Formats: sequence, structure tokens, C-alpha cells
Amino acid sequence: MSTPTTFWRIAGMSYTQYVTRAATAVRNGLKEPAKTKALQHETFSYNAASWEAGKIGPKKQVNKLTNAGISV
Amino acid sequence: MCWQGVKQPVVLVKTVVETDFKFSSAITRIPTRIRLPRRYPVQNLEEGISLEFVLNNLTPRSKKRCILFNMRNFQQILTAQAGAARGMATEKQLSLKITSTKNIRKITASMKMVAAAKLKGDENRLALAKPFNKWTDALCGEAVLLDELSDITYEELPQRTLIVPLSSDKGLCGGINTFITRSVRDCIKKIDNQGKECDIVMVGDKGRAQLGRIFPEKITRSVTEVISPGSFNLAAAISSELTAAGAADYDAVMIVYNSYVNAAVYNQYYKVIKPMTAEGESESMVAYEFEPDVKSEVMTDLYEYMLTSQLYYCFMDGAAAEQSSRMTAMENASKNAGEMINALTLKYNRARQSRITTELIEIISGASALEDK
Repeated sequence: MSTPTTFWRIAGMSYTQYVTRAATAVRNGLKEPAKTKALQHETFSYNAASWEAGKIGPKKQVNKLTNAGISV
Repeated sequence: MCWQGVKQPVVLVKTVVETDFKFSSAITRIPTRIRLPRRYPVQNLEEGISLEFVLNNLTPRSKKRCILFNMRNFQQILTAQAGAARGMATEKQLSLKITSTKNIRKITASMKMVAAAKLKGDENRLALAKPFNKWTDALCGEAVLLDELSDITYEELPQRTLIVPLSSDKGLCGGINTFITRSVRDCIKKIDNQGKECDIVMVGDKGRAQLGRIFPEKITRSVTEVISPGSFNLAAAISSELTAAGAADYDAVMIVYNSYVNAAVYNQYYKVIKPMTAEGESESMVAYEFEPDVKSEVMTDLYEYMLTSQLYYCFMDGAAAEQSSRMTAMENASKNAGEMINALTLKYNRARQSRITTELIEIISGASALEDK
């Protein structure tokens, strides 16, 4: 793969991670109470599990974008 | 009956036993004692009511045997078997059933209210997500309605597809998960017949349970216990899960989801998202110039963002459909519970009235038998 030229790729982030970080920065720039209300839109949580040969592996809770997509 | 015309009176039964009888042999001697089933103590019975009256007033309650003995020689005269006692419940059982059904009706009615309130929020989120995602129609094409499964051929799918069915985590939501599972099963069957390959990244616990039974070997990753309401960050995380499952190695990602129409109607759709190439025969967006000049990087970023945006919209649509389906299911459950309560109440009143009638007959017959003496 060719050398990345965009700064988020150089930093090791995907475009989606870069966009969500930018959105967090915009939300943090708000004043209260809009800031608290907007930051609630960021939260998420789920359990991810890998499957091998038809069997489910251990579940791992994901509530940060940096933890998403990591194999258990 | 063979005991008609018998002059010697039989004993007075102090408590009327509710048992259904099927007489296996005729009575040849005069029974002088009735032994009641195990639950009831053996009665020290006196002369009084005729055997015919006693036996005619025995009604089904449970699988009990009533054995008639001749006191003189302790010979078993008649064995009666309890018949279909299951079919007839007592007053107490009916009243317990009525109470529990009333509780169930209350619960389902409150679940319907909760679903209606959540639907409002999900509808608003969907209304915002629709224009947010509109731009992807130009690049991916419109979603395909899964109406008549026999008419869908899936021929536009490439050699390797990653299927992402969106289902719910919680139950009691009608048929939404079953419809998704059915569509995915039909799709995989047709894909296999065309000699193509596919894998599944499952979202939602209910879908995971169903598809995990049918195609466990095709599932590569599962995402369950998703906290609602969803957000763009959730969609971004799920698209990272898809990348970890190797979305870049597949020729297309296919999202299968429920789409909300109104509070009573929802449909199934699927969307195909193909990665965009910067060169070659299938180069995308040929008419555009790109800044910076590295088109491949821009295409990769655009594909990631498009996948996330599509997942976000499909998730919002699926969430609204889930709440509308749950609302309908709970409303039907409440209605059915109400009908069941009406039917049970009628049965209960009938049982109560027949008990009162029986007691009255017993008292009056006993009194008139004593008077005759």
C-alpha cells in the first residue's frame, strides 16, 4: 500500500475515527446545558465476539471507538 | 344401572367427591361403604343417600380412583377409573388462572405504552437520519424491497459478500427477527446455488440465536447487547467490527434490515455497498477531479464513511420498526388476554353455580331422606 498522505492516516486512524473525534471536539465546544445533552449522543455500548468454526468466542464489551474491531 | 331397585340403602356420603367415572364392571352386590380416593379420609358413613345419587353427582376433578367395597367381605365390588379429569378445572384453578391472566394483561398493556413512547423518539431519530444518508443512494443505489422472496434473485451480488443482518436484542417484538432470518436464509441458499460465497456479521442477539442454529459456520463476528438508542458513534464502531471481520477482502457488504413505514407496518430491505476503486475498469466517479491527487485514499475514506452512514441509517430504521412491531405485538397480547379472561370468567361462574346447585341438592335430599324415615 502506498504511503498515506492524509494526516489521520499517518496518525494511524481511519477516516471514521477522525470524523468522530472531530465531532467530539465540536460538542466539547458547546456551552452548558447543550454540551451535556450533545455529549450523551456519543455514548454507545455493545458486546462483540469472534466466531471460529461455528462456535462463538468470549464476549468483550466495547464502549469506545478505539476498542472496536479488536479481536478478542 | 344395575343398582336400580335396590332396597337396602347405601351410605350417606358426607363430602361429595368430584371425580369422573367410567365403570368397568356392573355392581352385583350392594355396596355398603364407599372408600374415597387417597386425598380424602375413609368416611364412617351412615345410611342415607342412595348410591345412585352419589355416583351421579361425581364430577371430574383429578385422576383419582374411587373404589367401592362391600363392608361384609371387603371385596372390591367396583373399581371406577377417573376419566379425563384434565378437561375440567375447579373453581380455585379457574380463579387463579383469571388472576394470572389479568396480571399478564396489565404487563402487556404497560409494555405497549413503553414501546409507543420509545417509538416516538426512534421516529424522530429516523427522520434526522434519512436526509443525512440520502447522498449514499447516488453511489450505492436504492435499497431493494424483500417483498416476495421467490422473485428476488440476488444476481447483482458479486463473488464474495459480507452479509450484515440487523436484528433486535430483546424479545416480545413480533416477527421482525424471523423475517430477517428468513430473508438471509433465502439469500444464502440462492447465493450458494450461483456458486458465490458469503459470510455473516450478526448484529442483535435474537438474530444471532436463530442464524447461529442454521448457519453457524458462516458467522465470523457477532455484535450483541447493543445499548439503545443508537448513535453515529455506534455505527462507526460496528463498521470497525466489519473492517476487523475483513470487509475490505469482500467484494460487497450487504445490510439486511427492517424498515419502518408506520406504527402498524414495516418491510424488509437489503442494501449492497460495494467498495469503490480508484483505477481499472470499474473506476468510480470518473467525472470528478480529486484533491489531494491521491484518489485511492479518498475512495477508501469515502467508502468507510459511506458504510458507516448506511449502517447508521439502517440501524435507526430497524430500531423504529422494532418498537412499532413490539407495540403491535403487545396490543394483540392484551386483546387476547382480555378474551381469555372473558371465557375463563364464564367457565368460573358455571363451575360456581354447579357447586352451589349440588350442595343444595345434597342438603335437600338428605333432609327429605330423613323425613321419609
